[in-house]
Amino acid sequence: MAGPFDEPEGNWWDEPVNRRESIWLGIAGVWSLAIFGWMSGFTRFGDQNPIGQTFDVDPDEYQAMVSEYKEAADETEEGHLIPPGDSVYIAGRRFDWDGLPVVLEAGHEYDIHLGSYDVQHGFSVRPEENLSKQINLQVFPDTEWVVPMTFDEPGTYHVICNEFCGRGHNSMHGEFIVEEP
Amino acid sequence: MLNALKQLFGNDYDEDGFRECSVTGLSIHRSAENHVKLFGLTAVIALIIGGSFAFTVAMTRWELIGLIPEDGYYTHLSMHAWNILIFWMVFMEIAILYVGGPIVLGRRLPLTKVVKAGWVTMVVGALGVNYTAWTATSAGGGEAPLLTAYVPLEVSAEFYASAIVFLLGATVAALPFFVAIWQEKRGAAKKTLPLVVFGAFITGIIAVEAILGGIAAFAYALVWRLGIIESVNAGIYRQLYWIVGHGTQQINLVAMITVWYFLTHVVGGAVVISEKVSRSAFILYLFFINLGAAHHLMVDPGLSAGWRIFNTSYAFYGAAFASMIHAFAIPGGLEAGRRQRGLGGGLFGWLTSAPWKNPVFSATIFSIILFGFVGGITGVLMGQMQLNMTWHNTFATVGHFHGTVAIGTTLSFIGLVFFIIKTMFRRDFISSKLATIVPYFYAGAMGIVALMMMYIGILYGVPRRSSGVVRNIPGTDFSLSAAAPLMNVFGVFAVLAILAGTLFVLVSVGSLLFGDRLEGDDRGGMLPDGGLQTDGGASVHAVDLRGTFAISLIFMATFVSLYALNWFLLTQLWSIGA
Repeated sequence: MAGPFDEPEGNWWDEPVNRRESIWLGIAGVWSLAIFGWMSGFTRFGDQNPIGQTFDVDPDEYQAMVSEYKEAADETEEGHLIPPGDSVYIAGRRFDWDGLPVVLEAGHEYDIHLGSYDVQHGFSVRPEENLSKQINLQVFPDTEWVVPMTFDEPGTYHVICNEFCGRGHNSMHGEFIVEEP
Repeated sequence: MLNALKQLFGNDYDEDGFRECSVTGLSIHRSAENHVKLFGLTAVIALIIGGSFAFTVAMTRWELIGLIPEDGYYTHLSMHAWNILIFWMVFMEIAILYVGGPIVLGRRLPLTKVVKAGWVTMVVGALGVNYTAWTATSAGGGEAPLLTAYVPLEVSAEFYASAIVFLLGATVAALPFFVAIWQEKRGAAKKTLPLVVFGAFITGIIAVEAILGGIAAFAYALVWRLGIIESVNAGIYRQLYWIVGHGTQQINLVAMITVWYFLTHVVGGAVVISEKVSRSAFILYLFFINLGAAHHLMVDPGLSAGWRIFNTSYAFYGAAFASMIHAFAIPGGLEAGRRQRGLGGGLFGWLTSAPWKNPVFSATIFSIILFGFVGGITGVLMGQMQLNMTWHNTFATVGHFHGTVAIGTTLSFIGLVFFIIKTMFRRDFISSKLATIVPYFYAGAMGIVALMMMYIGILYGVPRRSSGVVRNIPGTDFSLSAAAPLMNVFGVFAVLAILAGTLFVLVSVGSLLFGDRLEGDDRGGMLPDGGLQTDGGASVHAVDLRGTFAISLIFMATFVSLYALNWFLLTQLWSIGA
């Protein structure tokens, strides 16, 4: 019988395939199509999709937009921002998050604008009381990404940076303070 | 010393420079064998360097020890990443191309001057990368490159240039392999290449695609660092970079699968159960596997959902389907080959009666099982666009690629190095007992390391590429300290895995230098019971492959369960996205 070192004998293409291998091909093929279908379908019926509008933007322009937003925003006694409308602007900057901490209402949909003033950052968010609920998005210095989010549960959500952005990266931290409406 | 080195490259060849391998029966030419040794030895040196940095990196992440402060940590991480993920792998893969091409075909390795030029260029590039990564932070406030050197971080122009030199060298070194294939097929267009050669050929093509992407990425960054272009786009760099960043790992995968077919046959007695099916799977890889580079861009801005979904799925999971085909075909080949010889009855007798004391065999089997269950399944999970939000840049990602590269590929290459020591260097192990232990020790320890990384990343959201955020994030009371107990388990098993790696190096280098010479047709215990070729027995397609089928169903059940669990966890999150 031929091994993998040998030139296969005769008309190897027409050799019958083992019955159990044929069954496995069917199972694996169906599964492959199923997980493709689910991923694609979830963008239509699911509530967690990393999808939002993007705009090319110069880091300086983005900084000006964030400044304008911060001027329009109210502040709590602790100095936390209260957004003036549905838009929340956040920028990664070595080594903090500009625009955070911000106070939001639970159950309200906000457009979260993400960008960076310098290098790439990783926007990594989790509620304080449940670390396994966490989402992570990449942040670019030349792109503004508008991702809608609705925080259902009140509480403090911590943001850390999970893309290497230079020595000091460990200390990058910010907060969403989500309150009952 | 020089004499010892000279002896390593000495075998008895006939006047045409050929000898017959006592284990495989292959006709091996001096030119091919010596260069396989050269690239293999260089790979092991890279493994030793990168493996040393595994210790400092792991002992820093285990914050109880906290070996290196943040300043130096990224430098050490860069050294670990480049030496293991790139240099250990790529030098080894060039060696595999020379085995899978000229040696299996019984040909000379053509253009040996080109081979040497390729090796020198690769070594120069690798030294340059090591030097520039090591000195990155010492001069002028630059940053360590890590594996990715993402723009616009301040990574030195010399680093990008060195990386380009290495990749050019790898392309040059691969060229003689393609020439050997061309020589074989010249004037015999209808001749079918043996399966191992076919796999190596596909590996070679995928490698060249990956390398061209890498040269484009690093050249783009280089001209920006040199001031030839004024600005650089982070998203464009990432797209180009991941052609090589993930592409090199796809070379690992295809090379590893080729090695699986090779070694299960030689030491286990496996046969090819269907040339048509296995070759079709390689063809699927050729077309679709490099699309998997998009896995890294799932939560990037600026890319449409359609683009991401099509690419991350390798076009409707064409390449994942191919991997599932090999996942059946290789154990199935082993089952068929052993059943034909009457070795072992029942559901799993063919497997339990296999040569488990032979480290080449056990390393290969652990590689197959752990690659599939640990690395493969998680790769598909984290490559789904939405699930990627919970995996991206967490420690779980690191767990995934330690499942694929550090366990799967490294174990199969460990098996291959042991095999080459016996069959090409013609040395006996200095201690067969220690050699036997290596795959068990390494697979066990590294398996737990990878699982811990995944738990820590998914359950506690601990990021990758960070010297310490579990016990303390500077400037806030918040920390991820709930992960500390699992980090302790991680730390202990990381130490054990590094010890197992050290044992591998000691056994292999010790055997090369001090092992007894295997004379004449001494096979060093490598051949399976009943020899390499089965004679007669039932036809392959008629053998009942129920053992492999049962294992495959267990695999599928695990896959489906983990898939459902990951999606369940995702839907517990707050609502996000348009």
